[in-house]
Amino acid sequence: MWIGISVGALLLVAFIALSVMAGGPKDALYMVRYALPHMHRGNLKVGDAAPDAKLFALNGSDTFHVRERAGSKPLVLVFGSFT
Amino acid sequence: MGDIVQIFNDYKDRADFLTVYVREAHPIDEWQMKSNVKDDVCYAQPRNLSDRLAIANDFTKRFNYPVPFGVDDMNNAANDAYAAWPERLYVIDESGKIAYRGGMGPFNYNPAEVRGWLAARYGEVKHPEEKTPDSNPEKAP
Repeated sequence: MWIGISVGALLLVAFIALSVMAGGPKDALYMVRYALPHMHRGNLKVGDAAPDAKLFALNGSDTFHVRERAGSKPLVLVFGSFT
Repeated sequence: MGDIVQIFNDYKDRADFLTVYVREAHPIDEWQMKSNVKDDVCYAQPRNLSDRLAIANDFTKRFNYPVPFGVDDMNNAANDAYAAWPERLYVIDESGKIAYRGGMGPFNYNPAEVRGWLAARYGEVKHPEEKTPDSNPEKAP
């Protein structure tokens, strides 16, 4: 029984900590549901060849590749979204 | 975003820049943020490329965003290759190798590190309006 209580208490503490970090209890739930599954540390390291990927230009019809933009100068890549 | 635009303006002659728009971080149908409601940034998670392009175009127009821009495809190929979501920074050197790899956003997303990388290579770009903590204008002649 004490093991159950301890595990329950730990989970409660973890949830409270997550709520504080995320902004509130609802945020903690949404973080677990919508954010954590998409957040990956990845395994790229400094010195690895930069992966390539096809991208669309803002007009939607032209495409280009990330690696096409790298070459004569260093390339700063900024990944993000609007929201 | 303001930090990135500033870095872009400071170093665009010496480095190339590319913004890659990936899946939304806080759309209205997932984990919406109050701040986005306040700022009127309310979009559902794009289900097709035209939705994604529409949001990307809203973003660049709204901020008159000057940094070159590309949109990830609906397979999220660029996002997956770079473990990018929700936001992340990299520098690729002239030989096509990763020279700087930023941490996972939002907590370890740090434009100052990119500025530091560029400054180490090309020198600092100073902004006179920014006062350093030890500057003392009263002592100036």
